[in-house]
Amino acid sequence: MMIVVSFLARLAWWLLLAPLLPGIINKVKAWVAGRRGPPVLQLYYDLARLWQKQVVMSTLASPAFIVGPAVAWVAVLGATTMVPLGPAGATLSFRGDVVLMLYLLALARFATTWAAMETGSAFEGMGAAREVSYAVLAEAAMIAAMLTLAVQTGSVSLATMLAPSVGTSAVLLAAGLFTVLLVENCRVPFDDPATHLELTMIHEVMVLDHSGPPLAVILHGASLKLLLFAVLLTQSVLPMGTYSPAVAAAVLVAGVLAVTVGVGAVESLMARFAFRRVPLLLTTSVLLCVFALLVAWQGAA
Amino acid sequence: MTVGPLIVLAFAALTLGVVVGRRWPRLWLALTLTGAGAAIVASLAVLFGAVDWEWRGAFRLGGEALHLRLDGLSAIFLALVGVLGAAGAVYAREYWSDAHYPASAPRGRAWWSALLLSMMLVLTLSNGLHFLIAWESFAIAAFFLITLDRGQRAVRSAGWLYLAASHAGTLALFAFFALLAARTGSWDLGPMRDQAALQPLLWLALFGFGVKAGLFPLHVWLPSAHANAPSHVSAIMSGAAIKMGVYGIMRFSGWLPAPAAAGWVVTGLGAASALLGIAFAFAQGDLKRLLAYCSVENVGIIMVGVGGALLARADGDAAWGRLLLAGALLHVWNHGLFKGLLFLGAGSVLHATGTRQMSRLGGLWRKLPWTAGMFAIGTLAVAGLPPLNGFVSEWMVYLGLFDAVTSRGASAWAAIFAALMLGTAGALALASFVKAGATVFLGAARGKRAAEAHESGRTMVGSMLVLAALCVMLGLAPTLVWPALARGVAAWQPAWPVAPVPQSLQAIGGAQLTLAVLLVAAGLFAWRRLRGGVARRAMTWDCGYAAPTARMQYTSASFAGIVGGWFRWILRPELALRRPRGLLPLRAFRLERFPETVLDVVIAPVGGLIMQTASGARRLQHGSLQAYILYVVAGLVALGALVLTAGVR
Repeated sequence: MMIVVSFLARLAWWLLLAPLLPGIINKVKAWVAGRRGPPVLQLYYDLARLWQKQVVMSTLASPAFIVGPAVAWVAVLGATTMVPLGPAGATLSFRGDVVLMLYLLALARFATTWAAMETGSAFEGMGAAREVSYAVLAEAAMIAAMLTLAVQTGSVSLATMLAPSVGTSAVLLAAGLFTVLLVENCRVPFDDPATHLELTMIHEVMVLDHSGPPLAVILHGASLKLLLFAVLLTQSVLPMGTYSPAVAAAVLVAGVLAVTVGVGAVESLMARFAFRRVPLLLTTSVLLCVFALLVAWQGAA
Repeated sequence: MTVGPLIVLAFAALTLGVVVGRRWPRLWLALTLTGAGAAIVASLAVLFGAVDWEWRGAFRLGGEALHLRLDGLSAIFLALVGVLGAAGAVYAREYWSDAHYPASAPRGRAWWSALLLSMMLVLTLSNGLHFLIAWESFAIAAFFLITLDRGQRAVRSAGWLYLAASHAGTLALFAFFALLAARTGSWDLGPMRDQAALQPLLWLALFGFGVKAGLFPLHVWLPSAHANAPSHVSAIMSGAAIKMGVYGIMRFSGWLPAPAAAGWVVTGLGAASALLGIAFAFAQGDLKRLLAYCSVENVGIIMVGVGGALLARADGDAAWGRLLLAGALLHVWNHGLFKGLLFLGAGSVLHATGTRQMSRLGGLWRKLPWTAGMFAIGTLAVAGLPPLNGFVSEWMVYLGLFDAVTSRGASAWAAIFAALMLGTAGALALASFVKAGATVFLGAARGKRAAEAHESGRTMVGSMLVLAALCVMLGLAPTLVWPALARGVAAWQPAWPVAPVPQSLQAIGGAQLTLAVLLVAAGLFAWRRLRGGVARRAMTWDCGYAAPTARMQYTSASFAGIVGGWFRWILRPELALRRPRGLLPLRAFRLERFPETVLDVVIAPVGGLIMQTASGARRLQHGSLQAYILYVVAGLVALGALVLTAGVR
């Protein structure tokens, strides 16, 4: 009984709280720009509205155009089951779950790009090509970050890897993971989620032709992924395992909030990078994670 | 049933197949299926039974007694040869039928049996001399299969390149087996781990078998051979034939003592193969060349597993070595299955459209729904994505590497490097196969041939279905094959205790199954809702284009543009460009070709140098008698001088 309740509680955290994050980011951006901005709950309204809408589908698209977003959403949700939530722990935990989490995110990427390519549109092809290309460096950074945590704790399961802090390398790791968070969730300076009709985009351009419930699923999945990365970043930097459950829960919420506000601040204060400079920043994030790994190696010795 | 009679049955059926293949296609198919089936049952009996099979005959060949052996390691490879041999034989009935290829189809059947037979002999013979004979006949059978369509120039040159590279490897193997026989005093093969003097020989084996396995930078022959061969031949070449090289490396790194550096070298080569192989694959515009380069990547993943196991063995038999080797062995199966499937799918596309150039295809899912579905399954598997089989083996390799890192020994550095390379290669594999699948099957047809394509018949689709089903099965129930993998690991290093199914593997199996159920449920739900009348069809919106054409779609070259730029230093693209000029430009094009860099930059110049030297030496031979007499006199004088100076001393 307890298992079911805690499982449902975790599920509720992930599913219900996720759409809050883009709302907070937009609020921060509006506040910095001196506007009032949309309500924090705007994405919830959007999702409810989209869910009732009809779908318009390209004549070229195969069923995978509709199935793709569903697959991506299930994959991201699957990845969240392995990420511990502070004192609440993870639904699924075993040796090597960290690799499964990374590859479930890859599955989501595959499904999204596949669905984008269904339309035969050059714009969506561009977005898909950028998404998979930048992911190459982001993946290397993620592996390095996970190796850092593994070296630090001697464990290969997320639930135990994320409990202590990574000590002196925490700053490096935080910088590296934050950059990965920005690119994986297509935020400034890699992508600009505010514009919809630009040649220069990644994620938004891939979903140009989606509408109705599939678009709702895509938007919800994107917010879920953002929450996942925020939770991961918070816990890999802070020593969650050393706090009492109540403090840990508060710290987790505060951490996620801080990361979200940070994303909003970056978005307000920076412009999107020119595309040829993107790989440079990504390489920097790989190096940051690799240096974090080296420092963790020294520290744990 | 015991193993011996099954092996005899397999050999007999395939030998008979060589004889009857030309005349009686139906009988040949029955014989091939019998032979392949017997081999599969025999290897499963060894893998899931408790004992190895060994047989020594009194019959002597070349002065050596016949010695056959089937243990956990060779049985894994034998089963794969059986599965792909059967699938390819069924597929070829329609794909390379007598009606279309009256001259080469009968020949192809005979050589197919010969190839299967020689590969099975390679896997079972346990005598160095006989191994070499089988190895050579295997290489020759593969050559004739690659060049089945020898009217084409590209096919002939691919065949010659294969033959030349293959013999360079065989030369090293001749030296390897001869030195082995000289040092041990017998051609008989078997475990000789305690003879430390044999250590350096492993380098020869690594080179000789590495050429066949297509390990970077010894892969030069692989892309053109696999791309130009008929697709069922590409399937067995990529799926099973290059695995003979992998088998050789695994077999002799298991039986011989390894030099201390071997683990580092194999891991490093594997990691380099994985990254560079897939970088080359991503850049290709030819569907089958892309698949061929991807084989280089997958052999790299397997070699990372083998190298890690060697490191573990040198590191005091660490437990993570078992996981790495088991992952490598499972990846042998997985790669064979999904790459076989993908090559058969590519063959189906080629059959339907007559072109391998992805930029001329597009939108094929409507015309070839079965092929598209099967290819998509292969795509998911080769990208190593859950819930299919490719993920399970890659996960095992990753977990082994992570464990090696957390153990914090000296090998941890190799493991860190390999894990980073594998992660990058994995993301690139995903990119490559989104590109391949999407350019070929999605969007709108880019040409008349793609628009007028037709689905393949039942035999071609059927053999793809079998391979796809095996991919799904190995993905959803990895615990079922663990005993087989454990047998393979035990054959490699008997000192390692046989481990029960690891708990984490059970968890992965459960997670894969749950995920598969959820994905299917979500997909069905989405599709049903859509079919329920929610959807309206309209032209691709694309920010409001009024009349998009098929040529405006993103091509495979543009898709790979970003990453191609990062790897420009090794890809070295050849570019032919004509920019649009004037107010009304009539002709403009941009052609990008990615040649095989190692071949062009290293092998071709060295080969040219050898040819020059040889032509220079040929001037000595010109038919003038006086000059020959001069050579004889000069030779005699030189000999005399040598004798005299030696006599003085």
